[in-house]
Parts: sequence; structure tokens; C-alpha cells
Amino acid sequence: MQKTAVQQPPKKLSTHEHKKIGPGQIILLILIMIFTIFCFAPVLLVFISAFTEETWINSNGFTFFPGTHWSMNGMNSVLRYGSQLLQSYIVTIGITVVGTFFGLLVMSMYAYSISRPGFRFARFLSVFVLIPMLFNGGQLSGYIVFTSWYGLKDSLLLLILPLCVTTMNVIILRTYIANSIPGELMEAATIDGAGDYRTFFQITLPLLKPSLAAVGFMMATAYWNDWQNAQLYITTNAKKPLQLLLINIQKSIEFLLNNNNVPASVRAAMGGTIPQYSSTMATVVVVIAPIMIVYPFFQKYFVKGLTVGSVKG
Amino acid sequence: MQKTVRKKANNGFFANLWKHRAHVVMALPAFLVLLFIMYVPMIGLTLAFKKYDYSAGLFGSPWVNFENFKFLIASKGEFFLMTKNTLMYYVIFTLVGTILNVVIAIGIDQLVFKRMAKTMQTLMIIPVFISYAAVQFIVFAFLDRNTGMINNVFGTNYRFYAKAGLQYWPLILTVVKVWKDTGYGSVLYMSVLSGIDTSLYEAADIDGANKFQQIRHITIPSLIPMVTVMLLLSVGNLMHSDTGLFYQVTRNIGQLYDATEVIDSYVLNSILNSGNFGYTAAASLFQSVVGLLLMLFANWMVHRIEPENALF
Repeated sequence: MQKTAVQQPPKKLSTHEHKKIGPGQIILLILIMIFTIFCFAPVLLVFISAFTEETWINSNGFTFFPGTHWSMNGMNSVLRYGSQLLQSYIVTIGITVVGTFFGLLVMSMYAYSISRPGFRFARFLSVFVLIPMLFNGGQLSGYIVFTSWYGLKDSLLLLILPLCVTTMNVIILRTYIANSIPGELMEAATIDGAGDYRTFFQITLPLLKPSLAAVGFMMATAYWNDWQNAQLYITTNAKKPLQLLLINIQKSIEFLLNNNNVPASVRAAMGGTIPQYSSTMATVVVVIAPIMIVYPFFQKYFVKGLTVGSVKG
Repeated sequence: MQKTVRKKANNGFFANLWKHRAHVVMALPAFLVLLFIMYVPMIGLTLAFKKYDYSAGLFGSPWVNFENFKFLIASKGEFFLMTKNTLMYYVIFTLVGTILNVVIAIGIDQLVFKRMAKTMQTLMIIPVFISYAAVQFIVFAFLDRNTGMINNVFGTNYRFYAKAGLQYWPLILTVVKVWKDTGYGSVLYMSVLSGIDTSLYEAADIDGANKFQQIRHITIPSLIPMVTVMLLLSVGNLMHSDTGLFYQVTRNIGQLYDATEVIDSYVLNSILNSGNFGYTAAASLFQSVVGLLLMLFANWMVHRIEPENALF
């Protein structure tokens, strides 16, 4: 069984450099710093704009340096979405938690099964999980089958199931089980009389933690950020996740921009919810902040937990 | 009980299956999810050979053989355009993405300021966690005609979101893609770099190799297997695009389709606007079949050159 990725216990960032700091190091540092700024500045802009005065953005555009023109109005107007925002938060958190835990459980059981030596059916199961990566029905077929055959229209199941088992994640978990968990441990457990289930839940699963953390975090992000399934399937306000809320905001902006002849009465009626630049950015902050807060705690698992290997059985 | 076991032992495979019944049970939930979510919808692709009738459903709709494909090819403009765009963006993103991922990974690995490198890497990864539904507001803040930062800083008056801005979109989309994915993409390569045996570098040092020679002869060769796997995985997705990038970031503006429409965004639009499902299914089938062939071809190529890097 060949493994394509080098699997080593993670060291601290490699230590092969000399201690002397030459001009090359300084240039390298500056270049990487520039790239870091390129990556992070737009994120910073979101936070700055969310707290900038609306009139300032209107006259001067989006800027990193609004001088003294800070304001909480954007954030306050986000709270006007009030119950809908809260409801969307609950939906998003719900599908993220349920989907991630369910997905991790079924995928790690699957990965464990197909990596059992002597289990002949495993070959078929390996191919079975691989095929969807090579060939799939695409969005349209999924849409028709889910809505008309399964009768799942406007169902939260459609936000959970399509993302919960993916070929890549099964491969990652499988690689980790095969390379980083000694098979002797499982054998020893069996000899000591532990059943197959007990071996998995008490020996393998705890040792799988780094990989579960990395895969789980990536899954959670995918759930949190999924807008496509929501846009395709969800129509009831009570089931709309945060991403759909963002999309709706953009739609209403477009509606207002493209309809100069919206009657004054309608405008007045929409008065409270007409999205402005700062409040839009404030909504973006509300949507992306939770991930950014949680992410540093999971970062350490990325390198050791996400190694991809070959799927040859 | 013993009797059944012995009986099963006669036909090897089923005996093996029975012995591993716990593993069958454990594989079952994911198996069922895959079956119903990934496999059953494949039947929907038969729609490519049918004229979809909402009331008759998938099975009831009449067969039209290759009519849908003929139509797709006859409607040259759009079908060729979206195929061309899909391929073009795949090539650009893969090329630029892979190079940048490797360069950034090596750069961070070589840096002696470890604490700083760690912090910068943390900041670099953040964009990958922002959904395209949110990214499009960020892009808008830079590109909008009136409030956009680019127009304000340079005192220009570009209309990026209109026909006049068409030519800039390949560049804009590439920059957004690089911004979003590079930090995270480099993590995978960092994991390989952290596994390189340091004694290799020490030996090279003693032999008088400078930093660049070391990178060329030690670092880069050790990254090749990972690059191969990642490229191979990406080839299978050649016909699939990052739908959010092309649908959300472009605000799905029709005037920009010449530069931004890809097969995936066409399919999504067709579903959301109840377009012609027959044509859409034909485009989907084309997408899936070409993707499959490319994947098999790529794997076969790798198998010939370096068997142990092949995916299956």
C-alpha cells in the first residue's frame, strides 16, 4: 500500500535554518508580509466599513481610514432584522452542529471499515465512495430527484445530507487511520476480547481526534457557508440560514437600485429595512465573525490532520 | 450457531462478510447517504435524452434521443462560451494557484522568524472561511462605481459591473480566487515540508549547496507527489467551477456573461429560473462525462510515469 503524502509526526516548523539573518531573510519577510496584507486587508475593510458613518461611505466611498467618522448605526440597523437574524442564526448553528457530528460519525465508521485488513468487501466499498468524485449527476439531477422523488422541498434535511459524506473527507480519515494509528492496537483490543464496535469507539475514535478536528472544522465551515442548497431548496423564512439572509439583502439592494419608480409609500414601508452600505457590512461581520473566532483553536490540527493519501486499497 | 458459521465458511466471500458483519453495519449509514444523495440522482441525467414535462416527471417525460444535444450545439454561442470559460478559468486558477501555494509554503518554511510566520499564516488562511455570498460584498466595496475603493483611490470611473468592465473580469476573478484559496492551499504543502528530514539540508550545507540549490534539489522534489495528487484531484473537477465565484461575486449580471458564465452557473440559473431542463441536463451530462474521462486519463498518465503517485 503506497502512500503519496509524507506522513511524519508534526514537528515545530522545520529547524534547518541557520541563526544568522541575512538580507535574503528580510526580503522574504517583506514579500510574505505583503501577501499577508493582500489577504487580510479586505477582511479588515469589512469590519471598518461596518462601523463607518453611512454618509461618509456615500460621499467618500469605502475606505480603511474613515478618520473620526465612526458610527454604530450599521450594527444597530442589523439588529432591526431582529427575530429573523436570530432565527437564521439558530438554523445555521443547528445544521452546522448536526451535520458535522453526524457526518464525522458515519464517515469515520466508513473509513474504519474500509481500512480493516482481511475485510474483502472493503474493496467494493472503497470504489463505491470513490465513484461520486469521478462521476455525479450534477446540481440539476439532484434538484429534480430530491424535490420530486423524495418530496423534500423546503426541508432542512437538504441542507444537511448533501454535505455530510464527501469522498475527500473519507479518504483523509482513511489515510489517517491507516498511517497514524498502529494496527497492532486494534488487534490487541480484539485479542483482549473487545468487540468490533468497542474497538472502534474506544480505541480508534479517540486516536482519530486530530483528523476529526481538522475534517470537522472544514465540514463546519462548509455548512456555515453553504448558500447554494439554501437558495435552491429553502423558501420559508423560519428555515433560512444566515447565507440566504445575505443573498436576500443583496437582492433587495438591487431591487431598489433598479426600480427608481418604487412608490414612496413602498419605500416608506421598507424604511426600516432598506439596506445601507454600513449595515450590509455589519451583516457580513455578523455572519463571518463566529468562524473567525473559532478558527485559531483548530488551526493546529490542519497540518497533521489533513493529509491526503491514495485510495488504493 | 456454529453450524451456520461452518456452512458459510464454504463460500469464502460470504463467510468473510459474516465475519466482518460489524464493519458492514458501520459502513452502512454513510453507504446509504452516498446511495441516496450521490447515486440515485445519476438517474436524473437520463433527462439529457428527454423532453422534461413537469407534470409527467422524470420517468413520464418523453424520449427525444439526441435532440437536446443537437440544440446545445446548434446554439453555438452560449454552449461554447460557457465551456470555453470553464476550461479557461480552470487552467488559470490551477496554474496560478499551484505555483502560489508552493511558493508561499516554501517561503513560510524558509523564514527564520517563526513566530511571525505563524501569525502571517493564520491571517492568510482567513479568507477561505468566508462564503462567496459574503465575499461578493467585499469585492463590491472595491469595484463599485461610486463607492468602490479602486475608483476612489485612482480617481477613475470604471464601470466594472457593466458591459464596459467585461475585459477586467478574468483578472478580477483570478485575484479573488487567489485571495480566497492560497493561504489555505499552502497548508497542505507545508505539511509535506515539515516532514522533510532535516539531515538532508545539513548534508547539503556541508557539501556547499546554497539555499536556492537546496530548494531546487531537496524541497521541490519532495513536494512533487503532493502536487501530483492535488492536480489529479483537480482534473476531475475540471468541468466544475467554484459556483459561488461565478454566480455570487459577479452578482450574476447578464452583461458580464461573456466573461463569467461557466457551466455550473448556467445550470444553477436554469434551475432557479426554471429554464429548459432538457438542455440543462444535456450540458450536465456533457460536464460529468468529460470530467470522468479526464480523471481516468490523468490517473492513467500518472500511473505510467510514477505509479505510486496515482490516485487509484
